[in-house]
Amino acid sequence: MTLSATGRENDAAGGAATGRATLPLASAAIRKEGGVRELFVFRGKPRANIQLWVGIGAFVLTIAVWQLVTGTGLIKPVFLPSPWSVVTAWLGLFGTAGYAADIGISVARVWIAFLTSAVIAIPLGMLMSSYRVVGASSEPLIDFIRYLPVPALVPLTLIWLGIGEGSKIALLWIGTFFQLVLLVADDARRVPKEFIETGLTLGANDRALLKDILFRAMLPNMVDSLRITLGWCWTYLIVAEIVASNSGIGYELWTARRYGKTPEVFSGILTIGVIGLVSDQAIRFAHRRYFRYLT
Amino acid sequence: MQTDAFIEFRTLTKVFFDERGHATPVVAPLSMKIAEGEFVVFVGPSGCGKTTVMRMVGGLETPTSGEVRLKDCAVQGPSREQGMVFQSYSSFPWLTVLGNIRFGLKYRTDIGATEKDRIARHYLDLVGLSPFADFHINRISGGMRQRVAIARTLAADPLVLLMDEPFGALDALTRERLQLQLLSLRNAERKTVIFVTHDVDEAVFLADRIIVFSARPARVLKDVSVGAVLPPERTLEVTELPAFRKLRHEVLSLIRNEETRIEAAELAAAVA
Repeated sequence: MTLSATGRENDAAGGAATGRATLPLASAAIRKEGGVRELFVFRGKPRANIQLWVGIGAFVLTIAVWQLVTGTGLIKPVFLPSPWSVVTAWLGLFGTAGYAADIGISVARVWIAFLTSAVIAIPLGMLMSSYRVVGASSEPLIDFIRYLPVPALVPLTLIWLGIGEGSKIALLWIGTFFQLVLLVADDARRVPKEFIETGLTLGANDRALLKDILFRAMLPNMVDSLRITLGWCWTYLIVAEIVASNSGIGYELWTARRYGKTPEVFSGILTIGVIGLVSDQAIRFAHRRYFRYLT
Repeated sequence: MQTDAFIEFRTLTKVFFDERGHATPVVAPLSMKIAEGEFVVFVGPSGCGKTTVMRMVGGLETPTSGEVRLKDCAVQGPSREQGMVFQSYSSFPWLTVLGNIRFGLKYRTDIGATEKDRIARHYLDLVGLSPFADFHINRISGGMRQRVAIARTLAADPLVLLMDEPFGALDALTRERLQLQLLSLRNAERKTVIFVTHDVDEAVFLADRIIVFSARPARVLKDVSVGAVLPPERTLEVTELPAFRKLRHEVLSLIRNEETRIEAAELAAAVA
C-alpha cells in the first residue's frame, strides 16, 4: 500500500505516466529511514551519523555542566578543578621530561605483562578445552586464583620479588593471565563440533586440528577476549603503581594527590582514559578489518 | 550385488551411557553389507539411531560391540577415507569458497601443491561455483554452502561419502536442485554413498537402496531395493511414476507404523 502510493506520487512528479511502477530513487516522495525519530523507538535503528552526533552532544554537555558548576564556584577547585585548568595542567605535564617517560614505563609494564600472559594463556586455554586431562587438572586451581582480589597479592609479590619491576609485572600478569586463560578456553569450547569433525574426516591430526581449525575458528572471539583483558590489565597497573612504585602514570597520579594538585590528578586519569580508549578502538578497528568475513 | 561387501556391519551395536551410568541401547545388533558404488539411504523415525550408525562408519563414534569394515579393514577412527558432509556449520567462514575446497586436499601427502590446486579447481567447476571462487562463505547462500561442503569432501577423494541430512536446512526448490546435482556428481565419480534423511521423497529419489530403520534401538525394518524398480537415470519425471509413488507409500507407512508403535509404548510406560 505504501509502495503503490509512493509510486503514484513519483509518477506524477516525474511526469512518467507509463503506468509502470518505477523505483522512486530521486524523488521528494522518498521516506528516508533511520531518522531522528528512530532514536526514541524501542530497538529503533537511527542512522550511524545521527548516533555519532548524539554521542558528541552528550560529551559536550558533560563538559558544559562541568564548566558551569566550577565556574559558578559551586564546588571548590580543590575538589573539582575547571576543565580548562585540567587541560592546561595536562599540557603542562607533557612539557616536563619525566611525564613522557612515566607513560612509556606504564605502557611497557602493561604490554610486557599482557603479552607474556597471552603467550601462555592462548595455548593453555586451547589445550584445556581440547584435552580433559589438561582441563580437569587446571580449571579448579585457575578458578580459585581468579577469585583472589589482585590488590591482596601485593604484599606477596613484594616479599617474593622486591620493589623492582618484577613485582609490578608479576601482579599484572596474575591479574590478567588467570582471567584470560578461562576466556580463551571458553572461546575454544564454542567452536562448533562440526568444524572439528570435518577436519577429522579430511585427515587432520591433533596438531592440525589445533592449528588449522580450532585456532582459526576461535580467533575473532579470542581477539575480543584479549581486548577485554587488556583493559583489566590497565586497572591492575594503577593498583600496582599506587601501592608500590616510584614511576609510571599511577605513581604520578598518587604523588599529585599528596600535594593537593587536583588538576594533575585529573590529568593522570585523563591520560589513562585516552590510552585505554585508543588501544581499545585500535583493536576493534583491526577486528573489523581482519574478520570482515563474519559480517 | 551384495556378495562383494565394500562396507560391512558385523553385529554392530551402540549403547549410550548417561552421567549416572544409565544405559540406552541405540543400535541393536546390526549386520549388513553395502556394495561398492551403491547409494544407500538410511531412513527411520526421528532419534532412531540412523545417524549413529553412519557416524560409526565415519569413525566419529566407536561401536560398543561388533565392527564396521570398510574395504576389508575394521574402521578404527575418522580418516580421509570416510568423507562426511554435515547439515550445517561445515564450511569454514575464514576461507573463501576455493579455499574451503582446497582444504579438503590439505592433508593429502600423495600429491603436490600444483596438483592440489588443479583438483580444487576441478571440483569448484563441478559444483558450478567458479564465479564465486573468491567469495567468503558468509556471502553465499545455504545451498551454495552445501555445494562447497560436498566439493570439499569429494576433493579429499574418500572411499565412501557420508551425508548427514545435508539438505535438511534448505528450502524445497534448492533441495531439489542439489539432489539432481548430487546424482550427477555421483554418476561422474561412482562413489559409494550413505545418506541419512528423514525426507522419504528424497530417499526414494536418490537411493539405489533404502534401509528403513526401526525405532531405537535401530534394527533394519526393511531393506528396499529402489534400483530394481526405478530407472537408474533419475530425473524429476521419475517422481511422477507409479512405481515411485508405490515405494514412497511403502516406506512412509513403515515409518508411520513404527512411530505409532513407539508412541503407544511410551504412553503405556508413562501410565504404568
